[in-house]
Amino acid sequence: MRSRRWRDTGLAVLMLGPSLVILGWFVVYPLIKAMFLGTQRCNPTGKCPVDGGLQQYVDAFQSSQFQDALLVTVKYALITVPIGLLLGVGLAVLADKYVRGVGIFRTIFSSTVATSVAVASVMWFFLLNPNVGIVADWIGGVAKTPGLLQNEGTALWSVSASSIWANLGFTFIVITAGLQSVPKDLYESAYVDGANGFTRFTNVTLPMISPILLFVTVVLTARAFESFGEIDLLTGGGPKGSTTTLTYLAYGRGLPTSSDDGLRATVSVLVFFVLLILALVQFRGLEKRVHYGN
Amino acid sequence: MAIDQIRGGRKIGRYILLVVMAVIVLFPIYVMAIGALKPGNKVLENPLLPSNITFGTLTRAWRSGQLGRAMVNSTVVAVVVTVAQVVTSVLAAYSFVFLKFPGRTVVFVLFLATLLVPLEATLTVNRRTMQSLGWLNSYRGLTVPFLATAFGIFMIRQVFLTIPKEMREAASMDGLGHLGFLREVAVPLSRPTIGALALFAFLTSWNQYLWPVLVTTDSDYNTVQTGLAALKKASLSQPNLVIAGTVIIALPIFIVLISFQRQLVRGLTAGAVKG
Amino acid sequence: MRPRIALCLAVAGSLAAASCSSGGKNLGNAGIDNTTATTAAGSTSAPVTLAPGETLPPGETLPTADTPLDTAAPATTQPALLDSLPKCDVGLLDSASSSGPVEITFWHGLSDANGEELTKVTDAYNASQSKVKVNLQFQGGYNETIDKYLQSDTANRPDLVQMPEYMLQQMVDTKSIVPAQACAESAGYDTSPFLPGALQAYATQGVQWSLPFNISLPVLFFLKPTFVKAGLDPANPPQTLDDLLAAGKQIVSSGAAPYSIALDSDFDGGGGWYVEQLLAKSGEFYADNENGRAAPATKVLYDGPAGLKLFTYLQTLITEGGAVYVGDNASGTDALLKLADATAPAAMTLSTSASLGPVFAALGSGLIPGITAADVGVGLMPGPVNGLGGLVGGNSLYIVDGKGGDKAAAAWDFMTYLDSAQVQSSFAAATGYIPVRQDSLDLDPIKSTYADDSRYKVAYDQLAGSADSPTSLGPVIGPLQQVRKVTAEAVASVLTGGDPQTALTSAAQQANDLISNYNLTNGG
Repeated sequence: MRSRRWRDTGLAVLMLGPSLVILGWFVVYPLIKAMFLGTQRCNPTGKCPVDGGLQQYVDAFQSSQFQDALLVTVKYALITVPIGLLLGVGLAVLADKYVRGVGIFRTIFSSTVATSVAVASVMWFFLLNPNVGIVADWIGGVAKTPGLLQNEGTALWSVSASSIWANLGFTFIVITAGLQSVPKDLYESAYVDGANGFTRFTNVTLPMISPILLFVTVVLTARAFESFGEIDLLTGGGPKGSTTTLTYLAYGRGLPTSSDDGLRATVSVLVFFVLLILALVQFRGLEKRVHYGN
Repeated sequence: MAIDQIRGGRKIGRYILLVVMAVIVLFPIYVMAIGALKPGNKVLENPLLPSNITFGTLTRAWRSGQLGRAMVNSTVVAVVVTVAQVVTSVLAAYSFVFLKFPGRTVVFVLFLATLLVPLEATLTVNRRTMQSLGWLNSYRGLTVPFLATAFGIFMIRQVFLTIPKEMREAASMDGLGHLGFLREVAVPLSRPTIGALALFAFLTSWNQYLWPVLVTTDSDYNTVQTGLAALKKASLSQPNLVIAGTVIIALPIFIVLISFQRQLVRGLTAGAVKG
Repeated sequence: MRPRIALCLAVAGSLAAASCSSGGKNLGNAGIDNTTATTAAGSTSAPVTLAPGETLPPGETLPTADTPLDTAAPATTQPALLDSLPKCDVGLLDSASSSGPVEITFWHGLSDANGEELTKVTDAYNASQSKVKVNLQFQGGYNETIDKYLQSDTANRPDLVQMPEYMLQQMVDTKSIVPAQACAESAGYDTSPFLPGALQAYATQGVQWSLPFNISLPVLFFLKPTFVKAGLDPANPPQTLDDLLAAGKQIVSSGAAPYSIALDSDFDGGGGWYVEQLLAKSGEFYADNENGRAAPATKVLYDGPAGLKLFTYLQTLITEGGAVYVGDNASGTDALLKLADATAPAAMTLSTSASLGPVFAALGSGLIPGITAADVGVGLMPGPVNGLGGLVGGNSLYIVDGKGGDKAAAAWDFMTYLDSAQVQSSFAAATGYIPVRQDSLDLDPIKSTYADDSRYKVAYDQLAGSADSPTSLGPVIGPLQQVRKVTAEAVASVLTGGDPQTALTSAAQQANDLISNYNLTNGG
């Protein structure tokens, strides 16, 4: 018995080894180390002469910068996730039925997956620029002076637009894949039962693709919380901190965290706890409604 | 007849919606493509109409942004990370499903728990690690922390779980060892999911922005993301160069996407639903 | 490791409870005992701010209030500090290069035409001799250079680095540089042709830390045709702040342009750097202890009456003078591009003289339909009394310590090439920067450029007109970059209708926190 239980252990260690090393070295260790580093204040050269203790976490959490960034991040997620999801589902449903030329539309809708974060951000930066961009002259008003990305009220929405657009290709592809995996006979039996298009969608399609929607929601939420490139390239966190998300607060330029590894760790460990709480809430709320159809 | 008319009307409505959405989605790409094909002094004139078409701007952007080098770097990094993630995920997932060893569930839950750690919570310490190893400005620094993910292990484990245990037993009777079974049965059966993982890993790696910023100082190690960011900062008075840079960088992935679209969707169909 | 996780989870719980009671604390103060931090500010107690465990290197003394400003004979006035700093032997280059050129890496942040010109002179240097080979590396901008330099260890740092003027104190505090003065003394280098203000800007505590390379000052850019249309004399642009306001009103009321002047809140521009310039033009200090040059600065002074007057004036420019706010200048050229706006242009803006070259090049290529390089006028940056005077902006060159004596000697050789009269002359002519040496003015191309096109000479005249006073030397503050950032927020607030006094008080409070926290973690 005992030998049976241990029979595969040697092989298991070999097979798990690489993952164990990488995840331990670059995920577990840095997290624990960051929790300690977050109690220190460091200078630009990386030395940490001031011990702030656990009070440093409390102070950072209560700071106006952290609370503002938390609010901005939540707003950003609340804009990008639902709109991105709705657009993705809408386009996927629209391009799901067989109509002539649907392949071209599918290619177009998935095309933004080819634009990485830097490409999309630079594109939108020029598109929205008040002087050389063409959008400014069409819309006028704040789009012209000072510009959509330069105005406190519109900057976050503009960054969101860029990011929704950039994520659309990914969302569209994944949801399209989900739609195609729904067995056709389910639709047929619903049709026989006299369900119309809308009820077929709510009663058959949505439950069947709910695992996919959960996956997309989780990915989009994570991207919203980890957004850095688009902020860095579009607004640099401004104007007046209106686009400083939590990740940008930790890693952006010209901020109290810049060149202070300790304070960076403080903020990013706090982000970890915020996300932890959020993940628990999200899964509790969403998993009840998800239908795993195997 | 009436039903046909309604259907026809719906079809036209659908087409109109499709076209409107396609125009909106394509608009930024169209504007950039036009800008990239114009000479510098025409870029602000009639931004929506192609005129004075030239490839000179593209070649200048290619050179001044060192985009060729950046593309090689990004490809090397993304391919290494993708291959490694697939291999480490398959190996780890296999041992969680088909091997018996004490503490299997506990280890798996610990692995899964790392999914809860956001990237940014680890970056500061990881950067310090890279610095002490002397791995700043190297492919090692860009790739090693991402050679394994709990997400990949979880995804492959889910599909391995659908393989009936009886198959393993039958193979064992035939004298097929674990590695043989993995290579000849488990992996071929999971190909779509593995494909989806590979795609996801590749795109995630290709899109990395913050990590390359943190661990590279030498422009020779620019990825396409940081290279484009550098080009944007270096050429502010020449917007057309930067615009051309975006087009150059987006084009290869765009072509790959068009060529492999069908396989991509099929892979995801199999992978995402069960994952 | 388990108890620590449990501990942190407990903290998370208490944090959630505390979340409702956000008292608007400053993130920069997290983990620092605020009572001691704020009492430290305001007194010049540098030794008190030494962190526990930090000791001074042998021979080094903390700077005191009687540190001389004059650098004419620094070696004799305070030999102790220089002696304790890394040495430099320029003779090592000859022996090291006998077996092939010494390769050095040079990090810079010059973009566009300015970066191309630097590449050109570097290539010429590499081709002209066989002792040194310079590997030029553009870092993406000044901020990127700074971040990467500070966060790298010696092995990953370059041998020579270009840093903006606001980095002086932080570079000194990294204890990672070979002072230029050490090499100058070893080589018997003659600094007398340099503009005195340009040298003094990079000297503190009696040590010349770096040598200036490219100097720029903000100047007034304006469109001559719009001036003519408004009935203003393009040969005589506004020199005082009052003139500027009056000219603005005239431009808008005459219908010559929808906006008079485009103002930004870039921390390297309208939000930070120009504020320092305007205070200097008013004869005011920006920070205490004579701008941090007599002793480490402990607080900013711009929240006083002079600052309030200035900020109120900026708001008046918007409300009455027809000025337009263009944001924090995310693209780096937003303020300038506002002059070229097809539908709602402004007639003037302030920009660094370093953008002269790129602007003329872009206009020359026909980038902006309807505006030629000849249409652009350049005037002194208006000040309270007149346009003369200003602080040295731009960059200086630092030799990195610990890379080997031969590398330092090679870096010194390249640095003196870049600061030679001829290279300074051609670099200034191509870019709009000011030559760091007076003898460059006798050499072509800058000699003929200054003679043919007076626009290039405006910044030079502005700097040369500086009063011989301690307020003419810019602030030396460790976290000056971050101080500028909070100042820029105040400017942005005032330009969009916020109350000047409130904005100033809040910015000064944050700036003072930054300074005291910096002093804590950097040991004075």
